[in-house]
Amino acid sequence: MRLSIFRYNPETDSRPHMQDYEVTPAPGDRMLLDVLERIRTLDDSLAYRRSCREGVCGSDAMNINGGNGLACITPIAGLKEPVVLRPLPSFPVIRDLVVDMTRFFEHYHAIRPYLIRHDPPPEREYLQSPQEREQLDGLYECILCACCTSECPSAWWNPERFLGPAALLQACRFIVDSRDQATDERLEQLDDAYKLFRCRVIMNCTHVCPKGLNPAAAIERIRQAMLRRGL
Amino acid sequence: MKAFYAGMRGWLLQRATALYLLGFVICFSLRGLLTPPASFEAWRAWMLSPGPRLATLLFFVAVALHAWIGLRDIALDYVKPFALRLAVLAAVAGGLAATLGWAALTLSS
Repeated sequence: MRLSIFRYNPETDSRPHMQDYEVTPAPGDRMLLDVLERIRTLDDSLAYRRSCREGVCGSDAMNINGGNGLACITPIAGLKEPVVLRPLPSFPVIRDLVVDMTRFFEHYHAIRPYLIRHDPPPEREYLQSPQEREQLDGLYECILCACCTSECPSAWWNPERFLGPAALLQACRFIVDSRDQATDERLEQLDDAYKLFRCRVIMNCTHVCPKGLNPAAAIERIRQAMLRRGL
Repeated sequence: MKAFYAGMRGWLLQRATALYLLGFVICFSLRGLLTPPASFEAWRAWMLSPGPRLATLLFFVAVALHAWIGLRDIALDYVKPFALRLAVLAAVAGGLAATLGWAALTLSS
């Protein structure tokens, strides 16, 4: 199997370059991450993030043949060769396929990703009806891999001020949560020209999400919530 | 009822003006197709009657607002240097204001 991988070590390289590899997958190697692990046994200088290796942690997000995805759940069967691997577009590169996600998580923290309650907490758990719980489907599954935000042109144009699809999907998750009591504050916080309304509904986010979620629809739900609140 | 802020105001205004523009184009097209004016003078007299005149003036107001929000969005996305962005937005505002003024003058003549 032939691969062409983005390499950049800021301590030794003046500029990035693509390095070719040829590796024979073992019989049990099914996913792209398996092949990367095999390459690392040959070249331990190759840097990438990985953890759960089953599409839950979101660590191994990268650009695979031009589209973002998770290496651990991308089958090698059907990948066009040479498989071109690059770091997530628009994110600063730390080394090879490892990117700096500081700003991504700053945007995530800005939406206050936790339940906010003004009432005293109940003696036992917060109760929800099955219908209220259903509102969270398609939102809580986000693993914050950043595949969507990295491929969003609106986030490329305004990376500092547009929160990006991942953070906005998470914002929606708390806005629609029946247990949260800060809906008005959350909606008011997002109602400026940049944080949410830079979204041009390009829908790269929905196309690329490795978990099959729809951040564009979540952004639309926030707009509808703002509209209902205002009217 | 809560206040709308900058983001939602612009988004809502752009959609509201789009609906008005669509309604205007449909109504005026139907009017022209179903009861075509006999002459230029007849068409002019109808256009300058109070209803169509007001609707046309509102059409140009809607065009100006709709275009302002769209072009402002493009400037926010692509024009990063503050001075250049200010110049672009001023030029857009000036152009739209001139167009609107010209339309108002024409309709008042």
